[in-house]
Amino acid sequence: MRTTYHVVVIGGGSTGAALVHDLVLRGFKVTLVERGELTSGTAGRHHGLLHSGGRYAVNDQESAIECIEENIILRKIAPGSFEENDGLFVAITDEDVAYLDKFLAGCETCHIPTRVLTAAQVKRLEPHINPQVKLAVQVPDATMDCWRLPMRFFATAKHNGADIRPYNEVIGMLITAGTVTGVRVRSHVTGQEYDLKADIVVNATGAWAEKVSEMAHARVPVKPTPGVMVAVRGRWCNMVINRLNKPSDGDIIVPQRGLSVIGTTSWTVEDPDRLGLPEDHVRRMFEKGGELIPAVKHAPMRAAWAAARPLIAEGGAQEGRELPRTFKCFDHKVRDGIEGLVTISGGKGTTMRAMAEATANVVCDKLGLDIPCRTKEVVLLPYWAYYQ
Amino acid sequence: MAVPIQQKSTGARALQAWFNPLKRSAGFLAFVLMRVTGIGLVIYLLLHMVVIGNLLRGPEGWDALVATMKSPAVLVLDVILIAGILIHMLNGIRVTIIGLGFGTSSHKGIFWTLMAVAALLLAYSGWLVFTK
Amino acid sequence: MNQHGRFGPTRPITLKILRYKPGFIDPPRYDTFQVQADPLMTVLDALEEIKATADSTLLYRHSCHHASCGTCGMKVNGREQLACVARLVDEGTDEVVVEPLGSAPLVADLVVDMTPFALHMAPSGMALVRDSEFMPEAERPAGVERYTRYEDCIECNICLSACPVANTNPGFIGPAGLAAAYRALVTGERPAAEVFAYVDHDDGVWRCHSAMECSAVCPSDVQPGHKIMALRRELVAYKVKRFFKRG
Ligand SMILES: Cc1cc2nc3c(=O)[nH]c(=O)nc-3n(C[C@H](O)[C@H](O)[C@H](O)COP(=O)(O)OP(=O)(O)OC[C@H]3O[C@@H](n4cnc5c(N)ncnc54)[C@H](O)[C@@H]3O)c2cc1C
Ligand code: HEM
Ligand code: SF4
Repeated sequence: MRTTYHVVVIGGGSTGAALVHDLVLRGFKVTLVERGELTSGTAGRHHGLLHSGGRYAVNDQESAIECIEENIILRKIAPGSFEENDGLFVAITDEDVAYLDKFLAGCETCHIPTRVLTAAQVKRLEPHINPQVKLAVQVPDATMDCWRLPMRFFATAKHNGADIRPYNEVIGMLITAGTVTGVRVRSHVTGQEYDLKADIVVNATGAWAEKVSEMAHARVPVKPTPGVMVAVRGRWCNMVINRLNKPSDGDIIVPQRGLSVIGTTSWTVEDPDRLGLPEDHVRRMFEKGGELIPAVKHAPMRAAWAAARPLIAEGGAQEGRELPRTFKCFDHKVRDGIEGLVTISGGKGTTMRAMAEATANVVCDKLGLDIPCRTKEVVLLPYWAYYQ
Repeated sequence: MAVPIQQKSTGARALQAWFNPLKRSAGFLAFVLMRVTGIGLVIYLLLHMVVIGNLLRGPEGWDALVATMKSPAVLVLDVILIAGILIHMLNGIRVTIIGLGFGTSSHKGIFWTLMAVAALLLAYSGWLVFTK
Repeated sequence: MNQHGRFGPTRPITLKILRYKPGFIDPPRYDTFQVQADPLMTVLDALEEIKATADSTLLYRHSCHHASCGTCGMKVNGREQLACVARLVDEGTDEVVVEPLGSAPLVADLVVDMTPFALHMAPSGMALVRDSEFMPEAERPAGVERYTRYEDCIECNICLSACPVANTNPGFIGPAGLAAAYRALVTGERPAAEVFAYVDHDDGVWRCHSAMECSAVCPSDVQPGHKIMALRRELVAYKVKRFFKRG
């Protein structure tokens, strides 16, 4: 067996981070190129919720199961990385209360532990909660640091020999007879361009996946679908506060450090580099967040920003192994007849490790290798080890 | 839409020197004052030794020197010296107090109070220098 | 409606940005760009717009966009700020000068190398997560032994850039590292003797000249200058006690 296959990963978000970690553990030679700072795409600026899966327990149980499994795994492999205060799904209106049974049944199916709390109990846990609160369900949500968690994967991968190159942008693909053989890169540090040869190129550029795959004349129909988040000063809750109802706008408040972050919304744009920040969305965060914790309505705003989800317009080819549907992994050989290129897009920060595992499996399949994944056990280095 | 306007070359990297208290707050000003007055006092001490050296040249030289020392220009220099001593000494008190972890939360107040004291003492000694 | 579709009238603001790419844009120069700034537009928003529409080679660090990761520290009109929360119109000038942080090696454009910072910070022993002091009256739910929260310090290097001593003494542990050591001391994460061994030397707690500028610029309420002074007090008390125990 050849063991020196070289995999180039494009995109240094959470997916890229977990993927290089997985691939080097499996013995590949790995180079990651990211056009800006690591996690300067969506991964670094998402809402920061380590999902328990509760949010998806009714409508998208596959996601929910994936979330609770990965939630437990991440706490184990990245100890000391989360604000582990659990979360509440709070019912404010009678309509919310009517959702309770469905919610509990969904959580039970997905093995998400729950505990139902009375209004009085909730108020004792979270003094700032809307006094109209009827009841709440406690779930194992947590807060993650969207920069430092991926950095633990990068740090560990780097120490295991991965070559991680931020500030290097892929500007083209090297293609020989219908096979992608590498990438053309521009270093934004030196201003120089260079070629990087690869046995397999993985496109892990999230909302930019379409732009990048087009360089190989492959098609990934990604619609960037941003959401707005607003951070207000003051920590108005210790636990993550969700609305007990169908997922909608502004129905989660994630506390973090001395801030409370309200999110999120959804609309579509053409260009993932130009999201803008619609004023009405920002206002809605204050309104909707205020329904959960009235104090946030008047709390001073620290920041308002948008992050882009990659919404995938059509189903990807699912070859070989059965891939979960919550994210898409395209083998462009199957899809467009282009060898040597795999695209991974979608998913969540919470499921970064699982996405990486599935993608690394596809890479192994393509090369005819059978190397087991080890990322469920390997404890990650501290994030600052990246700089050592 | 962002528009590039012009591309200007400025030579070396314009590293803002640390010695720029304009954008800074009271403590930074105190630091700069401390350093400037400290160095000034060292220079003064050296000059002073040279001057004292005139004693070796006997009484004539010394009397001539004393005469120049009484000229208004030198008296102004004296006032500057006193200002330096006052600022340095009183600031030294601040550094000592703060440096031992006391009154840190009101370090700016302490600085301005001590500088006000310095200004008063300076006014008084200026009056002494020019009238007595 | 403006390009962001938001928040009132816009005003043209010129950004004068330091550019440097070793061997390519070398010596460094300033490039100037104009943006239409609405009242909420941050320096980071402006940089993103310039990168997307005028110069895709512009390099700067950024990640969370809400003052929690600490990557986007830079000098804005000569004063260190996080680009993600520094509003352009708040600067009050028609031209806003954007430069990389000091006290760290320059990599390219607005990017500095955080390695020296991390090397000073890591040995402090401060944990990322600490007990939450918010809402002390709040009861804890079953299964949660203590409410926790991330430390305030977001490791942005801003305090070192503003520190007159760190600018001329690269060996100085610096405000962030010393403040972190103080945290590790008071939380008991590290034994006092270890913490003191880390800070009690020429490039440690005694190097500080109490300019307190770190506390003035820190975007995350760490008040590192105040913590350095508190650390000195603890250290002096420790030494005095040890002296009398011996005697
Ligand atoms: C509003 C919102 C809220 C969210 N909240 C949560 C949450 O609370 N919890 C959670 O678990 N998940 C959340 N998510 C989901 C999560 O953010 C994403 O699933 C995850 O960040 C995706 O990471 P990624 O690595 O796939 O993509 P990205 O982080 O976008 O990474 C792609 C990278 O590719 C780089 N790139 C692009 N083009 C090139 C090129 N040509 N050359 C080199 N590099 C290139 C980009 O710079 C970027 O860094 C949220 C998402 C959104 C939009
Ligand atoms: C009058 C009583 C004086 C007091 C109370 C005093 C106090 C101090 C203190 C506390 C410092 C440390 C400052 C810091 O940590 O930032 C200092 C520094 C210094 N002092 Fe004095 N001092 C006095 C007189 C003098 C004199 C007479 C001279 C010159 C001969 C002098 C020269 C200096 C110098 C050069 C420094 C270093 C300045 C720096 O590092 O920025 N001092 N002084
Ligand atoms: S102490 Fe404050 S200024 Fe210094 S690195 Fe930490 S957050 Fe930044």
